[in-house]
Amino acid sequence: MTDNGNPYLPYPARILRVTEENSQIKSFELAFTDPERHRAFTYRPGQFVMVSVPHGGEAPISISSSPTRPGGLTLSVRKAGRLTAALHRMTAGELVGLRGPYGRPFPVDELKGRDLIFVAGGIGLAPLASVVNLCLDRRGEYGQLTLLYGSRSPADIAFGAELEGWRRAGVKCLLTVDQGGEGWTGQVGLVTTLFAQISPDPGRSSALICGPPVMFRFVAAELTRLGLSDQDIITTLERHMKCGLGVCRHCHLGPKLVCAHGPVFTLAELRGLREAELS
Amino acid sequence: MNDHLILKKDHTLSLLRRLMREHRLVAPLRNRHGDTLFAEVDDLAGVELDLEHQPQASLKPFLFPQQETMFRYRLDGEGGGYRFEPPEAGRPLLFFGVRACDLSAVLYLDVIFSRRGRDPYYFARRHDSLLISLACNQPFANCFCNSTKTGPFLEYGFDLQLTDLGDRYLVEVGRARGAELVGRWRHFFTPAEEGDRKAQYQALLESRSHFQRQVHLEQAIRRLQADEPLPEELWAGLARRCQDCGGCAYVCPTCTCFTITDQQLTATEGIRQRSWDACTFGGFTRLAGGHNPVDASRDQLRQRFLHKLLYDVREHGRPSCVGCGRCLGICFGGVDIVRFIDLVCEVRQ
Ligand SMILES: Cc1cc2nc3c(=O)[nH]c(=O)nc-3n(C[C@H](O)[C@H](O)[C@H](O)COP(=O)(O)OP(=O)(O)OC[C@H]3O[C@@H](n4cnc5c(N)ncnc54)[C@H](O)[C@@H]3O)c2cc1C
Ligand code: SF4
Ligand code: SF4
Repeated sequence: MTDNGNPYLPYPARILRVTEENSQIKSFELAFTDPERHRAFTYRPGQFVMVSVPHGGEAPISISSSPTRPGGLTLSVRKAGRLTAALHRMTAGELVGLRGPYGRPFPVDELKGRDLIFVAGGIGLAPLASVVNLCLDRRGEYGQLTLLYGSRSPADIAFGAELEGWRRAGVKCLLTVDQGGEGWTGQVGLVTTLFAQISPDPGRSSALICGPPVMFRFVAAELTRLGLSDQDIITTLERHMKCGLGVCRHCHLGPKLVCAHGPVFTLAELRGLREAELS
Repeated sequence: MNDHLILKKDHTLSLLRRLMREHRLVAPLRNRHGDTLFAEVDDLAGVELDLEHQPQASLKPFLFPQQETMFRYRLDGEGGGYRFEPPEAGRPLLFFGVRACDLSAVLYLDVIFSRRGRDPYYFARRHDSLLISLACNQPFANCFCNSTKTGPFLEYGFDLQLTDLGDRYLVEVGRARGAELVGRWRHFFTPAEEGDRKAQYQALLESRSHFQRQVHLEQAIRRLQADEPLPEELWAGLARRCQDCGGCAYVCPTCTCFTITDQQLTATEGIRQRSWDACTFGGFTRLAGGHNPVDASRDQLRQRFLHKLLYDVREHGRPSCVGCGRCLGICFGGVDIVRFIDLVCEVRQ
């Protein structure tokens, strides 16, 4: 394995498999072309990589696979602009560049023994999927697992295969869509409407949340109402990001940087930061 | 060894010529438009060294260029390869005639570009560089390094510091590399006399009394540290006057925000570039899809000022404005850092 000593140089990785999760989201299973690098690459749930797409630049993407599972590294990507659209056009066998992993992960060790409530909107399930799978692989170490997942419409529900597997493994999966449609008999409404169906024990529950800022605001308010402390409300933030190394400063939240201090933050850490958009 | 020496002004150019054998010289030159700018000097014969005026730009572009190639990438068709080739390092740099503020800024850049390991591009140029500074006997109109404590004379950070004593320079030897330099070129230097050191001290005292601006930086920092929010109208008023040109950040020796982009050259080749950016730009924090977590119409300048005067004080124990005054000269909206410091001081506690 050669280490080039330059943190900005990506390493080539091959796309092993592409899964279409919905019309906007695809999952890419990747492996470094250097087998030794692939074996040596370790990460923790909540961390991200910088992905280079030929001629397309770089974007930060969370790792959605779990380090507890062998095989490739999975990235689930929503088509949001130029780079992500170019990635969506790529197929198995093609090469991307990767550097990382970066960022502070979810505190999975500190969360041992607790009931976990996962709350996701759309692509926000990608970073949380890594934690859910880790918890399932170390099932005895965690309490009840509940997932509240909001999508725009029934057709937008992504990660169908994962959801099915989690249900079978005993994760309480509650789904909702903003707009129902023919054949949809489930919940309609924002993800916050699902809180009526759960009654967590605030003393032993922590929540892991990923979704747009408005969603986070409302979800955090619900969880606070249910008695969870600011320390137990944990989110991961998306920001414009260029270096991933704490230098370019695009991802600032005032004094903090999402790449270096996050992307995982507790609500307690975000309080008082104007750029965290809590109000 | 006596770390105070004398270098005759008449000998300066020949010393520089010797040093240029191993270094690329960067010095303040007066160009034909009457501007004073740091520039790389190939031949001292054809240029006008200007040690009288403040260089309009700092050393930043030589260590962290406005645009640079991070690597060339190549695609070798048929799923063959995606290779990344960084550029080779050039000859070491010698910076001559650097003012205290600009040298202090380099010390700050050293810290910033050491996050998460050393930045390979910055340190390829900074490593092995020599810094020969020139103390300011006479501050310029917008200077306020007396309040930022980064000048007009330096106590450390230089390899050599020169003080102009008329027909000669008093030379102070700073870091090991400076000692090496005077050791190697001993015949250019003579030991300083007691009178030379007195003359230097006198020059320092006089320089300190010549600042034209009173900038109450410490008072402003105390106010910011009090953690009571500043009036919304203060931020909005500054944002209204900002034209989003980025001039303050570009000209500032300690502003380092950058962006990274790919430029395709052929179907199978291209370069990745790093270019200056500015946190004051409306789109700096904009996300794919258009959402912007920073409301530019209200908070356009907040990050720049608070980063320099509050966040860096918390993180590094001192502000990262070095008082060079360049942003005062460049902003036609008048939203420079001194305006901000004044406004903060005016806010009632
Ligand atoms: C820590 C982290 C984890 C993430 N994880 C995931 C994930 O798991 N899955 C996922 O789908 N997404 C994830 N994202 C979001 C993802 O990085 C963005 O959707 C992606 O960068 C969009 O890139 P794009 O080129 O497709 O979008 P574009 O909109 O084309 O541009 C990309 C970036 O450049 C900026 N930009 C756009 N136009 C301009 C312009 N004209 N001038 C200057 N700048 C411009 C945008 O603000 C944007 O930040 C994550 C983000 C972060 C920070
Ligand atoms: S700010 Fe100070 S060190 Fe810089 S040029 Fe002015 S007087 Fe010299
Ligand atoms: S903020 Fe202005 S005065 Fe301070 S270092 Fe930057 S350009 Fe110079």
